[in-house]
Amino acid sequence: MKIVLGRSGWKCLWVLLLSFVAGCDMIEYHPYDLDIEGRTGINKENMAEIKASTEDCEEISFAVISDTQRWYDETEDAVADLNRRGEVDFVLHTGDLSDFGAKLEFELQRDILEKLAVPYVCLLGNHDCVATGKQVFNKIFGDDNFVFIAGNVQFVCVNTNALEFDYSQAVPDLSFIRDCLENTPDGVTKTVVAMHAGPYSEQFNNNIADVFEFYIRQFPDLQFCIYGHGHQLAADDFFNDGVMYYQCPCAKKRTYLCFTINNDGYEYEVVEF
Amino acid sequence: MRWWSFRAFILCVALSVCVPLFAADSADSVAVRRWDRRVNWKYDGWERLKPKNVKVQYAGGMGFLSFGAGWEYGKRNQWNSDFFIGLLPKKFSDKLHFTFTVKQTYTPWSMRLCDWLSYEPLTCGLYFTTINGEDFWQREPGKYPNRYYNFSSKVRTSVFLGQSVTFYPERYPWMRGIGLFYEIGTNELYIVSKATNSTVRMRDILRFSFGLKMQIFKPHE
Repeated sequence: MKIVLGRSGWKCLWVLLLSFVAGCDMIEYHPYDLDIEGRTGINKENMAEIKASTEDCEEISFAVISDTQRWYDETEDAVADLNRRGEVDFVLHTGDLSDFGAKLEFELQRDILEKLAVPYVCLLGNHDCVATGKQVFNKIFGDDNFVFIAGNVQFVCVNTNALEFDYSQAVPDLSFIRDCLENTPDGVTKTVVAMHAGPYSEQFNNNIADVFEFYIRQFPDLQFCIYGHGHQLAADDFFNDGVMYYQCPCAKKRTYLCFTINNDGYEYEVVEF
Repeated sequence: MRWWSFRAFILCVALSVCVPLFAADSADSVAVRRWDRRVNWKYDGWERLKPKNVKVQYAGGMGFLSFGAGWEYGKRNQWNSDFFIGLLPKKFSDKLHFTFTVKQTYTPWSMRLCDWLSYEPLTCGLYFTTINGEDFWQREPGKYPNRYYNFSSKVRTSVFLGQSVTFYPERYPWMRGIGLFYEIGTNELYIVSKATNSTVRMRDILRFSFGLKMQIFKPHE
């Protein structure tokens, strides 16, 4: 018996096979490709949602989670616990969603965070910059630096992972901070600054740490700063100027922070889950 | 490509070429399997260096399409070493990237169903893939404190299981066979992620790939 498949036969077979599998998420060209499945541009949409849902609120509350890289089980539990408590207006993730910068990690983390009952925004962590990680982050979540409003509080989120950028771009970007200062919208009376790596960590551009502090202190009624990266719970007044820096533990510590800001000031709670 | 990664690359190529030269060719001692008609063709001398098959592979973490050449050896040609160059087009990345892969496949059985068709119920193996581009490093750049990230973003190690069918077309005298194969595999980063998290499912980390293998160069009669 001789084989009867001609050249066009092989071509048909191959095309059939490719079209069969092309839509399947179990096809991957490279772990660091940018062929992203599912929701993208999340921060922008969620920031608008946060602004709308907290408009005219005198009191806002939010949770901070951080450094959830390769701790999917713990992140799932954190999301379940946040949904169970149901007290916060939104969730802020201060970076390191991925461990290796691989696309799959961002997709898995996003799919877990999507289960949150409230909107969330994510900052860029240093692990998120590995290989093509930053580009995946930019696509799925958004910009390195961004600002959003909840109630009467402005949240200034700054990329501080200077070690990853080799002076190829300004980190932290002081012109972005100045721009936020000059364009603070009406109705904003308080400010919170969020970042991944805190001042004096090995990631931060410590040469300009006090310049950074000088600028962020110009914001209207700076409440406190939040950051991650160190994987430990910490509360420090780094510059002895009364500005508190709160470090959110990593997901493995099964801890997140809840902040409430109202006209009397702010309160925070360390929540173990 | 830095000099040491280039050196490692050349070494891998040299190894994959040399292995068939030193492979034992004691085909006489192969136990008779009526259903497995594979034999080592016993190429002579430098003939062994000629690639014994060419492959095209789709996906599998080594690019959109990869093109490779392979060498078969072992009593039943059950071992196969391949060397691939893959393309990751701009459509799926920030720019066009090339990948380089060294792959080892073991095919323990081949069931000859009829004159023109055989079925290989199991293939297994592993491959190492590197990718070009300044975003990827094999060792951490010196700016980082020691063991800061503690892995290589440039080199991936993948393992796979698969199956194949091989057609033996008599129409083309220069071709010994055409194989169609699929593989399901994963890489070491995904295995680590799955091993430490019960909520990561197998389908999250397993990846399909498909390929075509053309066995060329019939030995001299």
